[in-house]
Amino acid sequence: MYEYVLAPEQDVVISSRVRLSRNYEDLPFSPKLTPEYSEEVIERTADAVFKTENGAAFTMLRMSELEEDARSRLVEHHLISYDLLKYVNRSAAMVSSAGTVTVMLNEEDHVRFQGLLPGLQLERSAEMAYKLDEAMEARYPFAFDHQWGYLTACPANTGTGMRASVILHLPAISGGGQTGAVMQTVAKLGLTIRGLYGEGSEAQGDLYQLSNQATLGRSEEDVIRALSAATNQIVEHERSMRENAEKKDMLQLQDRLMRSWGELMYARLMTAKEFMRRYSDIRYAASMGYLHAPLPGLDMLMMDVQPGSLGVRAGKLISPRESEILRARLLREELQALVAE
Amino acid sequence: MMCEDCGIRPAKFHLMTIINGDRVERNLCPTCMAKHQKQLPGIDFSNLAGILNSILEDKSAEEKARQDAQFEGYVCEQCGMTYLEFQKCGMLGCAHCYEAFRAPMTALLQRVHGNTQHAGRVPGGVHSGTSIRMNIDRLRQKLKKAVADEEYEQAAKLRDAIRALTIQLERKETDIKVKPPERLENDSAREANEDV
Repeated sequence: MYEYVLAPEQDVVISSRVRLSRNYEDLPFSPKLTPEYSEEVIERTADAVFKTENGAAFTMLRMSELEEDARSRLVEHHLISYDLLKYVNRSAAMVSSAGTVTVMLNEEDHVRFQGLLPGLQLERSAEMAYKLDEAMEARYPFAFDHQWGYLTACPANTGTGMRASVILHLPAISGGGQTGAVMQTVAKLGLTIRGLYGEGSEAQGDLYQLSNQATLGRSEEDVIRALSAATNQIVEHERSMRENAEKKDMLQLQDRLMRSWGELMYARLMTAKEFMRRYSDIRYAASMGYLHAPLPGLDMLMMDVQPGSLGVRAGKLISPRESEILRARLLREELQALVAE
Repeated sequence: MMCEDCGIRPAKFHLMTIINGDRVERNLCPTCMAKHQKQLPGIDFSNLAGILNSILEDKSAEEKARQDAQFEGYVCEQCGMTYLEFQKCGMLGCAHCYEAFRAPMTALLQRVHGNTQHAGRVPGGVHSGTSIRMNIDRLRQKLKKAVADEEYEQAAKLRDAIRALTIQLERKETDIKVKPPERLENDSAREANEDV
């Protein structure tokens, strides 16, 4: 059996993200932001970010200059928020070469720094965002009130301006019908949990996003500590539910999960929705050791076969059917390569 | 009842969703309701929300007028944003809006966050003027309480601490006056400023 490096709690936690929202004190906020001012936001931020220690690693992407698939690909890889695309005429993103740090420009706030790492690594993700924040404010002051902290366009982010979140893979909890109980528990801790894809009606791929709600009155450190503690508890719960399922009837569990592997290896047409269901099964199987595929590789592949990313790979606009064909082919090739490694 | 999503606008809808068999219920305002509807696949609720909203608006027109009158005087002289405008779009026009809307904003932040005192990072770290000013504010509030509770020994200690911090802050501000924080053109200038 081969080995690969796992990030902390990666069997359940897919990634950790910390976003800091900031606004230049002398420029109007989102509702009053004219094209001239939004250009000034981009210029200032580029000037400061490119001059930081790792500034050369950043690429500036103006949303207006990207094809629609390329924009979607950035959202699918969690490099930018979906909301950034609400303002395509003025918005931009500076993305680090490793994809771990992003600076979003002219979204709801002038600047949003983001640190993104695999597994449960909220402190380290926050450190990456702080580093940029400090480098920036040394050049251009951000709007700040000594009572209310950092001032943001929407008062829901005022204070720390920090939104910390983890993406969780919870197949055993949601299969056991315990999502509701988890949701109620985290709500009491001032946290919210929601389905990551297919919001509103379902959580596709059993993927959930857990994040902090309030931003005023608690320090960043406190919030991150609370979120990490809650995540650890959910991780323990999910693991014990997985073990229980195995104890109950291991052969049946293996049979159910590995059938999805079969579908993925031989299907010729694969919709995004079906893929998410199969992906959840094979990720579950891999975490239990039934399938020897590296989790980081599976997670990367999951993002790569989302509609926008597939379009970018195809290099042209593709029809839904072409997309299903391409997805099925890519999965066959890549999954084979992943287990052969 | 306020919207459970934004906490800013009054809730007018009750949204019930079933996520993988689990029921989640939320009270939402029309704006946030519209956001959620966009995420529901297949069915276009946008018009329905509009119709329902107009009925509800009509019904409470009198109440709305009364609420509006309460906030009528609040205008930001910097960007021209009014409080009523802010209530509609949910976003402020500039940093100064917070100052211009201070009274209603305090109530709003309390409602949304359950708190109105920032406790996180401040520009420039713990030794910055901002950080000192925040500490003075906090101690002043404690002092007020100590005096009200007739804890004079404690009050004296707090007064001394405030005095010490005020002197520290004054020194800092005269330093800044000597070296005005201009927009920095190169890294050496930036480093020099960081030493201040």
